[in-house]
Amino acid sequence: MSPGAVDTIVVTGASRGLGAHCALRLHETGYRVVGLGRKPAKSSPFEMRVADVADAASVSAALGDLKRDKSVYGLINAAGIASMNLVITTPPETVRRIIETNLIGTIFCCQAVAPAMVKRGGGRIINFSTLGVPLAIKGEAVYIASKAGVEGFSRAFAREMAPHGVTVNTIAPGPIDTALIEKVPRQKIDEVVGRQLIPRQGEPEDVWNIVSLLLSAESSMITGQTIHVGGA
Amino acid sequence: MSVTYHEVEAFIRDELASLTGEVSVSADTVLIGQNRVLDSADLVVLLLAVEEFAKEKMGVDWDWTSDSAMSEARSVLRNVGALAHHLADLQAA
Repeated sequence: MSPGAVDTIVVTGASRGLGAHCALRLHETGYRVVGLGRKPAKSSPFEMRVADVADAASVSAALGDLKRDKSVYGLINAAGIASMNLVITTPPETVRRIIETNLIGTIFCCQAVAPAMVKRGGGRIINFSTLGVPLAIKGEAVYIASKAGVEGFSRAFAREMAPHGVTVNTIAPGPIDTALIEKVPRQKIDEVVGRQLIPRQGEPEDVWNIVSLLLSAESSMITGQTIHVGGA
Repeated sequence: MSVTYHEVEAFIRDELASLTGEVSVSADTVLIGQNRVLDSADLVVLLLAVEEFAKEKMGVDWDWTSDSAMSEARSVLRNVGALAHHLADLQAA
């Protein structure tokens, strides 16, 4: 991966977890990173902006200046929330919040950034799902529903964007050691990892390697795909 | 910053002609639905160009999202004239 001098990558959920890891690696690689987070960043080596991805007006306000900016090459939709719970014991407001952040937030950010890539004549959109979709993990049904939505959205959006040279792919990791799973019991994590084709818990760097691949010029024929980290 | 309906229509016709190679573009030229003259990819390009025109020449922030965007009966995108009228109306508002 070798970025152009002023190529910009927008990273949602850039204040923590996989989003923060990818944003930092992109910054180190030489991209201009515009990170989005729900709260102001105390300090960051790259530009951070405040936005609630589930709120279209908030996304538009945060990214409005990039809508016509041809330096925008990539969008990484890493913002996400999870809640381990049985369906029948999950509060309605939590159900709504998970769907709005994970699925609708992904759609809103694509709407905000894709026009710039169309104007540029190419780009890369990377969305995030979970290995939980193919593995159908008990206790994550709402989270899995939101991510299955992301996968379906990404496949269809890839078809809309293909004529413009913009690829849209989804990365579906298993449990990666980030804040997202800090409250998940070790036994549960081991159980899921044991069902992966490669039964090793992934590291953030494993995800970054796929992000890096999908951002590369050489991946211009890869679109509409979901890549399962660890295999399912 | 004031642009007439005819200037908006002329801009859209020119953009459309450039995108599609159609020589007989008029206010009645259909943009969406069964008899459309451009595919969805070119429609996106047209929308971007019109949005920029609206912003820079008319001082209008045009939000093209609409539940009826793909409605052949109600959409402001149903033909060149409807889109031009819509933008002229936004400018007048």
